[in-house]
Amino acid sequence: MRRVLIVDDNAALAENIAELLELDGHETRVAGTATEGLAHATSWSHDVVITDYRLPDLSGAELVRRLQQLGLRVHAVVISAYTDDSTIADARSTGAAFVPKPVDFSALGRLVRA
Amino acid sequence: MKNLTFLENMKLYVGFGPASSAALREAHPLVAPHFGPIIDDFYATIEAHPGARAAITGGAAQIQRLKGSLLRWIDEVFLGPHDEAYFERRARIGRMHVQIDLPQVYMLTAMDRIRVQSLAALRAGSALRTEDAERMITALHQILDMELAIMLETYREDLLAKNRTAERLATIGQFAASIGHELRNPLGVVESSAFLLSRRLAQLAIADPGLTKHVEKISAEVQRSNKTISDLLELARSRPLTRRPVAADALVAHAIAASSLAAGVEVQVSGAAGVTLDADLDQMSRVLSNLLVNAGQAMNGKGRVSIDVRREGGRAVIRVRDDGPGVPADLRARVFEALFTTKAKGTGLGLALCRRIVDAHGGALTLEPSGSGAVFQIVIPDAAAPPG
Repeated sequence: MRRVLIVDDNAALAENIAELLELDGHETRVAGTATEGLAHATSWSHDVVITDYRLPDLSGAELVRRLQQLGLRVHAVVISAYTDDSTIADARSTGAAFVPKPVDFSALGRLVRA
Repeated sequence: MKNLTFLENMKLYVGFGPASSAALREAHPLVAPHFGPIIDDFYATIEAHPGARAAITGGAAQIQRLKGSLLRWIDEVFLGPHDEAYFERRARIGRMHVQIDLPQVYMLTAMDRIRVQSLAALRAGSALRTEDAERMITALHQILDMELAIMLETYREDLLAKNRTAERLATIGQFAASIGHELRNPLGVVESSAFLLSRRLAQLAIADPGLTKHVEKISAEVQRSNKTISDLLELARSRPLTRRPVAADALVAHAIAASSLAAGVEVQVSGAAGVTLDADLDQMSRVLSNLLVNAGQAMNGKGRVSIDVRREGGRAVIRVRDDGPGVPADLRARVFEALFTTKAKGTGLGLALCRRIVDAHGGALTLEPSGSGAVFQIVIPDAAAPPG
């Protein structure tokens, strides 16, 4: 079981990801912005963060960097509908895994368990 | 003042009149015996220059045909009549050069070879009076310069038209890309909701065929939409090529493996051994795979597809032929247009994408006329002759 923080401004998608992960026995929290995600992160210790790349306030990669600066060494997965080289490179530069949208849920499940 | 045509304006500018036409007709018998060597030299020079040679894809047979056309062309230079119809024919030749992507520089340099040798022929072998020779030489310069001006003008017009099309495609591409990205999110929700729904049904032990069918339909259609979006985005993106020498047989094997063809589709490969292409393996494999998948679908999953590879004058030619019903003649020109499809469930993007990739390789993807079945032809530079 993992504690997974999901950050995506598309609430319906974030909820679905959460529900799917919960079916696999994981515990989840959902946030709609990077700021909200950071607030969750400081009050709830998660193992994995799944974040959209394009958030209303920060990029997903930036969110991962902030989490790392806070000393939270978490496993991160950046997801995005934008699959251009610079987005992928920026996401991966943080050490996060990149998963393109539409999200392959079995791949996401494997990454969460890893 | 009367509006002059492009031709009248040029004639006026260089001072080309009936006397010039007459001088050229007088020059014809003096130069005509040299036409053969001039034409041979013309094509020998093209073959010696990779950049010019690249425009000729049909090998020796094509050169033979072109020599015949050049003979008629050069004959007409001297014999005329130098009227509007004459120059209209010339403009068509200019357009042909744009179509085959002949770099402009070779029109100028090739014309120079004809000019220098025709002048040499005029100056040599005859006992012309100086002023007669001068008249003929001047007329020859005038007509050849007008020929060049016409070719360059048509070249420019066609290039502008080509650029306009490219710009329009780029605009459509950007538009499509932003819509595509926007649609990926809601589709992701629909897809995951359908998946959650099926999990929930299983959990509740509800085995209702009607319900299951609808959930499956939702998933299948979402996947199809995702595919359309991915193709659209791919079309809009234009990835740079990573070229390297690629063995044709490896490319073909790669493409066949990627195509997941129906069991009833038999693929026959010939001539691929020993041919090496200068290509981006992933992208070119995508092209070939797309053609194979289309072929399989055209034959309803049953029949034979043949892939024939051969080298032809510094280029590799790959032909993909199927046993299907073929493409009706009136649709042949349109199959490469984006969003045009003949399939009930096609996106109309596959062949547009294929052509873009082959074009980026400096090659050509065409649908060849054929008696039965569809024959697609890819022509790309082979690795032995990198683009000059």
